[in-house]
Amino acid sequence: MDFELSDDIKEAVVRAKEFANKYFTEEVAEKSDFNEEFPTDIVAISKKEKVLDFSNPWKVLVTIEELVRRDPGLGISVTISAFGAEIFMFFGNDAQKEKYMNPVFAGKRTLGLGVTEAGGGSDVAGIKCEARLDGDSYVLNGGKMFISNGQIADHFLVLARTSPPPSPEKKHKGLSVFVVDSKSPGFAINKLHGKLGVRATNTAELIFDNVRVPKEDMVGEEGKGFYYIMTFFNISRIYVAAQGLGIAHGALDRLIEYSKKYAPVSETGELNENLQLAIAEIATRVEATRNITYKAASYLFKFTPNPIVTSMAKFYAAETAVFATKRAIELMSLHGLTSDLERFFRDAKILDIWEGTTEVEKLIITRMMLKEGGA
Amino acid sequence: MEEEYEILENTVKDFNAKYVENNSIKFENESMGKEFVKLLADQGFFSMMGQSGEEVADVKTLSVVLENLAKSVPAVAVKTLLANSFLSLVKDPEVTEAVANGSKSGTVTFSDLLVGPGQNGSLLLSDGKIKGEKQFVVGSDSDFIVTLLDTGELVLLKSGFTAGKKLKRLGFRSIGFSAVNVNSSDYEVLSKEGRKELEKLYYQLSIPVAAISLGMSKAVSQKGLDYAKVRTAFGHYLKDFQPLAFELTSLIAETEILQRYFEVLISTSPSRKEAMFLKHKALALAKDISKTSLQIHGGYGYLEDFGIEKFYRDSMALSVLFHNEEHEMEVLSTLVFETKAGFV
Ligand SMILES: Cc1cc2nc3c(=O)[nH]c(=O)nc-3n(C[C@H](O)[C@H](O)[C@H](O)COP(=O)(O)OP(=O)(O)OC[C@H]3O[C@@H](n4cnc5c(N)ncnc54)[C@H](O)[C@@H]3O)c2cc1C
Repeated sequence: MDFELSDDIKEAVVRAKEFANKYFTEEVAEKSDFNEEFPTDIVAISKKEKVLDFSNPWKVLVTIEELVRRDPGLGISVTISAFGAEIFMFFGNDAQKEKYMNPVFAGKRTLGLGVTEAGGGSDVAGIKCEARLDGDSYVLNGGKMFISNGQIADHFLVLARTSPPPSPEKKHKGLSVFVVDSKSPGFAINKLHGKLGVRATNTAELIFDNVRVPKEDMVGEEGKGFYYIMTFFNISRIYVAAQGLGIAHGALDRLIEYSKKYAPVSETGELNENLQLAIAEIATRVEATRNITYKAASYLFKFTPNPIVTSMAKFYAAETAVFATKRAIELMSLHGLTSDLERFFRDAKILDIWEGTTEVEKLIITRMMLKEGGA
Repeated sequence: MEEEYEILENTVKDFNAKYVENNSIKFENESMGKEFVKLLADQGFFSMMGQSGEEVADVKTLSVVLENLAKSVPAVAVKTLLANSFLSLVKDPEVTEAVANGSKSGTVTFSDLLVGPGQNGSLLLSDGKIKGEKQFVVGSDSDFIVTLLDTGELVLLKSGFTAGKKLKRLGFRSIGFSAVNVNSSDYEVLSKEGRKELEKLYYQLSIPVAAISLGMSKAVSQKGLDYAKVRTAFGHYLKDFQPLAFELTSLIAETEILQRYFEVLISTSPSRKEAMFLKHKALALAKDISKTSLQIHGGYGYLEDFGIEKFYRDSMALSVLFHNEEHEMEVLSTLVFETKAGFV
């Protein structure tokens, strides 16, 4: 067991740090947040400079962590362009990989993933969006809600029902995944405004009104969409855990900086114990989050994913991010409230919601443990 | 609850329904506008607290009003709290009349009590002029400001100050929040023992601040209850899922217990310790329950349209703008131990 990162991964950390230092200025971060504006320029630079090296998932993981540690909204915006691409990697055919996945990994295209609907996100199998075969194409009708990259993606991977469920217990059957071109006739996008946090990211509602998707743009086999999406979530949740790790670590950085600069000290000249213990607690949780996230990643990157540990990492990282940002603001008082930490606090809460809410993650952990007999 | 308070509660409810609820996003994020402030003043909401000369300020009616205003838009309650705080300290009839009738606005700076010495700027009086900068002023867009000088006097600034660049605003975004640059010969010294005076007011606000927190807790838990009864997932109403039902129920239990305690305190003459107990617990509860309610709403909770996320932000902002955890726990511990405690 080796807890050290290899030199090339450490290099990726340094690169990410340098990139964030250079481009994630407070002015840009604040503007993107205030105006709910996607940082198009920075994302373009990040693609040009190949900040995300998709050839090595460890590098992707530590880059997310480091960028988000500097600013969650910008960090996530820069690292979300390929959201969903692993579905092509594992289930797409060569033509789809060539046409859709490679341009995304090369930074030339942006992808989005449409699973959630207005009627529900946790109950993936309960989606209502329909795809009906008509000649050489499928016709999509319905909508998707809260879709990241909604206004900026060139293509979306969309989960839709292609056949009725064989029984009410088997709702997960009969779902399929399609690639939808954002310029398709009948396809409409409504930007969603007024998010609590991650306001630099772009979120939209998608509407499909008889959108035609050529047959060859179905990914994998018809009816297996639910399985593909769940497989993808077992990958993406590790990256969400890295987001949580970055946010929590960012809060810790700020609390330590505050404690050196402003915090009250006791008569013996030490930091007040209340603050000392809070720093220790946050630091320990950050460390625990890192260990569990890296453990989940380690399973996945060796192609032996462990969904139990993955869900543990996702929920624990989210909880840690929320906890750390909250405690840091409380302790830093007006200094926290008027610094970028307030943005971290708002941003952190999304991690409890997206890609499987905290409750859903916990249910997955227990149900799988009971089924498989342990983590 | 006494009949008098019930009538007051209904008055505020009607006011919310008529003037606040339709504008809640605007009043939270942009500006309340002069007309609306005037309406608030016309209800008599701005002058409900006695002058601070009285040892025990009458914060009871004010607290009932604040609790109910906070249910719709917490920023409206904070605006009202600031006006009352101001009027409890200032005696100049021209100034007090203008603030009480809403044609002018006034605020009090509490930052001296919230951050360490020298961390919130410096204001000095020399040659008949007050000069310098005060950081972290809530209500920095006001016409009048009551603030503390470095030398300890509490002063009323009538003019000669400008609000600086807006600070980041987690909550109460429609209320000015920035540093204030001062170069003023138009002022009045309210007290030579300014810090003591300010501290007295600060502790008198414990119940009103708790009332705002309670109002927020009630509003946001109601939203959680309502949503959990209509939203379904996996073929069940959210209310039927134990994690959500139990957590919300447990927090509502806390809310009701605190509500009872609040009612007891406002119908008696509470001690500082009791008032601080209430504030301490009510602020924590508002944060917890906002988080739970937001979570129940899933993705919708994260968007402003559902009116949940503002409680998540405001509950945290309230607990920082009118509260300093470490400092207050030191004071409270000392009251509980009946000897100096919580200091090394
Ligand atoms: C900013 C943002 C970006 C997003 N990006 C995307 C995206 O790119 N693509 C995409 O497809 N989706 C996206 N989402 C949607 C997100 O994944 C969903 O919001 C999330 O899955 C929850 O679904 P919901 O909002 O419908 O909540 P619901 O499913 O309605 O859940 C509401 C509450 O009920 C709880 N709950 C549900 N079932 C149970 C149960 N059995 N037991 C206990 N509790 C339960 C949930 O935990 C939650 O607290 C995004 C959301 C946001 C806010």
